[in-house]
Amino acid sequence: MSSTYEVTDSAKPHLPGESGVWMFIIGDVLIFSLLFSVFVYDRSQEVALFIEQQQLLNQTFGLVNTLLLLTSSWLVALAVHGARTGHLSQARGCFVLAILGGIGFVVIKYFEWSEKLTADLTIETNNFFMYYYLMTGIHLMHMFIGIGVLVFLWQCVRDAEFNTQGMGVLESGACFWPLVDIVWIALFALLYLMR
Amino acid sequence: MNIRNQLICAWSAVGFASICLAGFLFANFIPPISPNLSAEEVAAIYSENVLSMRFGILLIMSSAGFICSFAAALAVQMKRIEGDLAPFTYAQLGAGCISTLVFVFAGVFWTGAAFRPDHDPELTRMLNDLGWITLLMTFAPFIIQNIALGLCILSDKQANPVFARWVGYYNLWVAVLFVPGGLLTFFKTGPFAWDGLFVWWVPFAVFFTWYLVMFYILLGAIKRQAQSEPTVAA
Repeated sequence: MSSTYEVTDSAKPHLPGESGVWMFIIGDVLIFSLLFSVFVYDRSQEVALFIEQQQLLNQTFGLVNTLLLLTSSWLVALAVHGARTGHLSQARGCFVLAILGGIGFVVIKYFEWSEKLTADLTIETNNFFMYYYLMTGIHLMHMFIGIGVLVFLWQCVRDAEFNTQGMGVLESGACFWPLVDIVWIALFALLYLMR
Repeated sequence: MNIRNQLICAWSAVGFASICLAGFLFANFIPPISPNLSAEEVAAIYSENVLSMRFGILLIMSSAGFICSFAAALAVQMKRIEGDLAPFTYAQLGAGCISTLVFVFAGVFWTGAAFRPDHDPELTRMLNDLGWITLLMTFAPFIIQNIALGLCILSDKQANPVFARWVGYYNLWVAVLFVPGGLLTFFKTGPFAWDGLFVWWVPFAVFFTWYLVMFYILLGAIKRQAQSEPTVAA
């Protein structure tokens, strides 16, 4: 594994970031897959309850959050592209907007959880809400880490001396955000939509 | 001399993992005693196997000190990355040493349960509860140890890095896997109870695998140091 990072020319297949970061991402996806499998199994034991309880979720919150994260991931891709092509002000702007998208997600999640908690739906109500809080909670933890990573990347491109040498760090960090996005989409489908 | 001392400390990973695992087997703690059992059921488990459990718990407690010496061996190699001002090294060493207490205190509580098998079943169950809670909910020092080690490895800018970079990401991943332990406070059954998939099986497997992986990685780092700095080896 080489410690220097080269920007490959676009004709060659190119794995964004360094290979080590993909180990983390695949490991994390593995654990989420395990969690989702356990959810699907437990759901199959109590299908009626899960479908009935699912009606209590607010699909609008879920959908808005999905759109926020998708937009935010797209902005991160634009930011990385901007940094690679030397448009640093575009990269900075896109990172700020992506971070705001992430914060927006957290704020909506706060309102969504408060709505559930005031309706006396807690982690101990039943198995459906146990999974609801656990899965959205573990995802929220990833959101906080992801926002932290984005702030760090934003700081990187604010540096006037940023150049393509820094692309390795930038790409490695930027790979994490779509992971958070993809996990959310799977989670949205399983919790909010699956019938 | 220095290399030999480092190797002695590195081998304590094997000492820890083998003695501790043997302890869990003797104590019949794999799988764990379910948090969903009645006081009488828990008391029956302790009174039926009392000698084997006492011995197993003793082994678990005996193995705990090796965590410190292994953390020290890691710290020596981490310091080669950080130099004199070495906050990640100290964070790893401190958190690693503190996590010794997790195994010591879990053992204290379990021994409390096994010490007088004839006492009130409610007391046996409470001490048993405390043992498992101590073992599995105390993820805080473990994740700091892994994060400090991971960030230190990723910050290595030398041409010949002390550890491969994937080891840094591996440690960050391991840190994430210990966090669900905190959820055991909400559950008596299911995947997040202390005998469930995400609180027991995944962290347990990842924890002991981590010792073996890091032992192997550390031996490689020490070997490379011995070759590149012959004065240290002398």
